[in-house]
Amino acid sequence: MADDDDKGYRWETEYEKTWEELQEDESGSLQASVNDILHRAKRRQLLEKVTNVRLGMMRHLFVVIDFSLAMADQDLKPTRHLATLKLLEYFVEEYFDQNPISQLGIIISLNKRAEKITELGGNPRRHIKALQDLTSRACQGEISLQNSLELALSTLRHMPSHASREVLFLMGSLTTCDPGDVRETVKSMVEANVRCSVIGLSAEVRLCKTLAQHTGGSYGVIIDESHFKDLLGQQVTPPPASSQTESSLIKMGFPHHALVGDKDKEEKPSMCMCHLDSGTAQGFSTSGYFCPQCKSKYCELPIECRACGLTLVSAPHLARSYHHLFPPDSFRELLTSDIIADGPVCCYACQVEILDPHVYTCDKCERHFCLDCDLFTHEVLHSCPGCASSRSLQTVQAGL
Amino acid sequence: MDGIKTDKLESSLLIVILDTNPVWWGKKKIAQDPMTLSHCVDCLTVLANSHLMVSHNNKLAVIAAHTDISTFLYPSSQPARPDIFKLPDDGQYEVFNSVESQLRTQLKTLIEADKAQVDYMEEQSSDSLLAGAMCMALCYIHRLEKECPIGESLTARILILKGSDDCPSQYMNFMNAVFTAQKQNVVIDACILDSESGLLQQACDITGGTYLNIPQAQGLLQYLLWVFLPDPSSRSKMALPPRAQVDYRAACFCHRNLIEIGYVCSVCLSIYCSFSPICSTCQTTFKIIGPQKLVKKKIKKP
Repeated sequence: MADDDDKGYRWETEYEKTWEELQEDESGSLQASVNDILHRAKRRQLLEKVTNVRLGMMRHLFVVIDFSLAMADQDLKPTRHLATLKLLEYFVEEYFDQNPISQLGIIISLNKRAEKITELGGNPRRHIKALQDLTSRACQGEISLQNSLELALSTLRHMPSHASREVLFLMGSLTTCDPGDVRETVKSMVEANVRCSVIGLSAEVRLCKTLAQHTGGSYGVIIDESHFKDLLGQQVTPPPASSQTESSLIKMGFPHHALVGDKDKEEKPSMCMCHLDSGTAQGFSTSGYFCPQCKSKYCELPIECRACGLTLVSAPHLARSYHHLFPPDSFRELLTSDIIADGPVCCYACQVEILDPHVYTCDKCERHFCLDCDLFTHEVLHSCPGCASSRSLQTVQAGL
Repeated sequence: MDGIKTDKLESSLLIVILDTNPVWWGKKKIAQDPMTLSHCVDCLTVLANSHLMVSHNNKLAVIAAHTDISTFLYPSSQPARPDIFKLPDDGQYEVFNSVESQLRTQLKTLIEADKAQVDYMEEQSSDSLLAGAMCMALCYIHRLEKECPIGESLTARILILKGSDDCPSQYMNFMNAVFTAQKQNVVIDACILDSESGLLQQACDITGGTYLNIPQAQGLLQYLLWVFLPDPSSRSKMALPPRAQVDYRAACFCHRNLIEIGYVCSVCLSIYCSFSPICSTCQTTFKIIGPQKLVKKKIKKP
């Protein structure tokens, strides 16, 4: 946020001739040139990623969705309201994929009130179901920033001190209708160590900017739908932990999965704890995950045991988060002509012959990669194929 | 695969990762086991040819996971030398011929490189670097998907033929590869020639693949053709070996024991089997009274 302030607004900067960067290839197409620019921008983004900061791995996030009349606007297709909910579904999935032991809750704000749709929870399906139900809900009245913040704070305040507390605002309206001084609420958010980020759907609002600035969050205003998606995508990766976040050892259970068909054990079918209140026969079987502390049964992980409060996870859930903590080093850019090789230069990972003037190399294993593999390894795979197939580099990693 | 669905061109890519660990194969040889590397490669060639025969659009790649390197056996990056690569004179399909000859030459190069180093090398490890080969396979799939022309769909899967032990120091790289495969809809199948592999069981379970520890080594070819040749979409119609129970318990970082209840560091997610005041991975000091009280607070939900 700090450098954004120095830069000022785009319209105040010098006139840019952005179209001069584009060059036609032999066939007169601009696509290659455009792709090239996109790739390089992505690579620049990767290089900018700050490493070696403590991350808040256990996140507690409230997503506040604007349901005021401003959301019925049709600048996003079909409406802001529906486009937002669609993108949020994707966000929820990504969020739990990247932060498997984190929790999420949904709040909507309409008619000057705030309403909690889902409590903080770790089950993506429940949130997605809630989001789908919200599509039939009409947008009404005005939003209240203060009421939404207070509502989120009332739950987040009780979250353990080792977890990060966050609020993400999706705001289409340019105004807010509050019962008191909203600046007092901002102050109390800062005190409670809640990180507030705002994504504006229409234009920059001074209040939102201050809110994000003071609480250490980010503020962005969307240009179009793909930019909206990008901004949401940025919220998926865990943010750096604030200095007030404490660290502690958390007791967790790794339940054993009992399958159907253990005939020799003569197990009796039982009801699982997650479907206990549903009143259906769903979850009534012999299979399931059993809490190692109190033996209550659940049909999916991760979950917090309802009987004894133990967090139940499986080892792969934790492993899913490791790539945030141990990211691969970024590759160095070299000129293909500088590489001494007897044949054509080939990418180590995908065997493609590198015709691009640039080649990317990992400093650890000294293998060469093409741009596509460079982006793929850093964005998706999170492991360097060269380092992973070198014995001497394995011991280094294991010692982390 | 379905001849009826002609509106869309479907091609299937099979990537075989062959474990070529010299220590493990050497031990087999000493024990006079009928299972030798050359027998295994023969079976693999038959599987490869059968896969290519199922449909004209099918594609194939073979990667060797060696003890300290992973390398593509087919298609190889080296240009075909005319003295080795000659066209078949008995009317054999050229692709079969090139698969077989490239597999063998590349494997030979790999073994010879090992032989040249053997005098001044320290003891070879008995585990293979599977994760590296898997990462390469995923990058290769990513490349072919990009190169795939519009109107053609590519489904990819990875088959791992493994004999040697799991490599615990590769856990993180291995899991990263598995999650990537899950995200890209790539099925990982495992055909185990020797001892059970906990890591591969998890990989197959997460990606929805088949895990099979073959009971009889002589029948390798039959298992390969019956279980691993059909692509995942047609497997539901077949009677395949039942799914094994997968152990998802975590191993603690301090003693490598499998535990049911453990303590997890909130900063770096290291797992410990008992409470310690300082995390040995990230050197964070913990508040001693923390966990018990906090856990109780959280249960206030409806």
